[in-house]
Amino acid sequence: MSDKIEAVKKLFTSKSSRVETNKGDTYYQDLFAKCEARLNEMRAQTPANRLDFSELLEENGIDRREFMKWASATTAMLMLPPMFTPLVADAAVMMNRAPVIWLELQDCAGNSEALLRADGPKIDEIVLDIISLEYHETLQAAAGFQAEKQLDEAMETFKGKYLLFVEGSIPMGMNGQYGTIGAAGETFHDHLMRCSENAAAIVAVGACATFGGIPAASPNPTGAVGVMNVVKNKPIINIPACPANPANMVGVILHYLLTGQIPELDSLLRPKFAFGYRIHDNCERRAHFDAGEYVEEWGDKGAQNNFCLYKMGCKGPMTFNNCSIVRYNEGINWPIGVGRGCIGCSEPDFWDKYAYERPMADAKIKAPTGGVEKTVDEFGLGMLTAVGIGIGIHAAASAVAGKREKSGESHE
Amino acid sequence: MNQEYKQVKRMTPAMRIIHWLNAFSMIGAIATGLYIGHPYYQTFIADGAVDKYVMAWNRYGHFIIAIIFDVTSVAIVYLYFFSRFEKPYKKVIPNAKNLIEFKDVVVNLLSLNRKNEFNSTHSDSFNTVYFTIFHLLLLWMLFTGLQMYVWGLGSGLSSIGSWWPWMLHVATDWTLYVTGGSKMDVRLSHHYTMWFIICWIVFHIYYQVWRTIFWKEADIAIVIGGSKFVKQDKANKK
Ligand code: SF4
Ligand code: SF4
Repeated sequence: MSDKIEAVKKLFTSKSSRVETNKGDTYYQDLFAKCEARLNEMRAQTPANRLDFSELLEENGIDRREFMKWASATTAMLMLPPMFTPLVADAAVMMNRAPVIWLELQDCAGNSEALLRADGPKIDEIVLDIISLEYHETLQAAAGFQAEKQLDEAMETFKGKYLLFVEGSIPMGMNGQYGTIGAAGETFHDHLMRCSENAAAIVAVGACATFGGIPAASPNPTGAVGVMNVVKNKPIINIPACPANPANMVGVILHYLLTGQIPELDSLLRPKFAFGYRIHDNCERRAHFDAGEYVEEWGDKGAQNNFCLYKMGCKGPMTFNNCSIVRYNEGINWPIGVGRGCIGCSEPDFWDKYAYERPMADAKIKAPTGGVEKTVDEFGLGMLTAVGIGIGIHAAASAVAGKREKSGESHE
Repeated sequence: MNQEYKQVKRMTPAMRIIHWLNAFSMIGAIATGLYIGHPYYQTFIADGAVDKYVMAWNRYGHFIIAIIFDVTSVAIVYLYFFSRFEKPYKKVIPNAKNLIEFKDVVVNLLSLNRKNEFNSTHSDSFNTVYFTIFHLLLLWMLFTGLQMYVWGLGSGLSSIGSWWPWMLHVATDWTLYVTGGSKMDVRLSHHYTMWFIICWIVFHIYYQVWRTIFWKEADIAIVIGGSKFVKQDKANKK
């Protein structure tokens, strides 16, 4: 019963992605004081690792001015007023006090890749470098029993304080035996449950950990699901996309470090500061969309002139993510910028229902009747034909019957 | 001859206006909707910049039509229950009388008019159910359509205030869960439903023409002049 009530509640309380960006002076004064106190508390703690942020910046040739520019941009991204800039800068410096445990489940490690993109690191990446990664299944040197011991120690030391980052989906088929970890053969599911128990919050990064992603694509042989399908009663933050944008990961950690809270989330548990924007509304090709100017095939005149990619299957009109604003690789470019459509990597059902590079009307999907894959239009035309045939038969039969009747009653 | 037939009023002017408004809106909605789903003609590169607004105009037309549908839907829901003429809801209640009539009309259609055992003077329950299905399909289109519309208001703001996107979310977010959970499901469902509606229309037109030809009661005239003709003895029968 309570399940049903929950479902009904969910049905009607889906939130818009709107963030109230002006909550009034008193609110921000309060928040400022709270954040300041929290940072002071942090400063008193010994850092969990010895990396020095300022040194790292210097090594990478990033000066103070550039760093402050980044801090003010990040403050804006988190939808905080400018007065928070120095606090954000402080929080970034103290990133090595945020204990993070990173689990790697059924996935391609693309998010770890994104996190590590190390050639000419941007400040976002440096920040991620110095977070206190207590345990990272792919990156750490330790292996086997040693690694397991490290995990146990980290969970013990930072009990209730660490952020648990999860990358990859959880295979539920065959009792979870599709994915195991460690010498004891612990399933991914059990592993996740054990590590989430004492986490302050769970951050699911990437399409797989959030909504199942590619492993969950039809026919989903391993029964893959996202974290929020498995872990209940814990704060979960979803940072979908394939891969998740490092800027958004930093945003979430910074927000947590600064305020001790998780950022405002939408109904899919995605932070609104990152997923409150529709690709289509911030796309540089939008004018071509409205004008009806589309790329018809790869490399045609339209493509050369940066026309809209809608007919090449761009799913920007139904995808919420900030890559059109934040972009990738030091803000150099993003998928649509380089001339490919968006494939909706940050939406549930990504892959099956988004990544087919055709307009929705041409998508081959399983018809409601099951069986063969058809487009909606093929199905619809088939249905129409059936109706037409039915009508034809009925009309012909009626005509014949009518004639017969007439000749029958003609001697009236 | 004149005495043999009796004229019966079937549709008020308001009902006829709504009917034709819906009919033409439907054609418009399908034409523009197909373009939005898959742009099937191209802008002329040589067009002046001010004219190059093809998708935008199609979407504009589609939305205006949607608003017309919205308004007529409200009117129709009202008429369903409060019409002083005929209250259609009385015909969709599955009571014995309606069920028998429903069956008789179906039998009439399948027996190619050899059996005709119901009173065709008034709107029968089969037709009323058929129309109810149409209005439910239309309602579904409105909900899914407005759900897609609100994606464009991600900021939560609109020119007429933030209550509007808020209201759209409250009113239509359930379509996401009902169709399967993702935005694409809503879109696909909207597209499928169009085909159901097209099939509905095809049968509707056929059936009205068929009635006119075989019943010989000028049913097709209802939607134009508002009335049809029934043989006097039949009209008095029930
Ligand atoms: S390229 Fe995609 S996101 Fe950009 S305007 Fe076209 S459809 Fe929208
Ligand atoms: S453009 Fe679309 S598919 Fe590409 S990264 Fe952004 S949300 Fe994902």
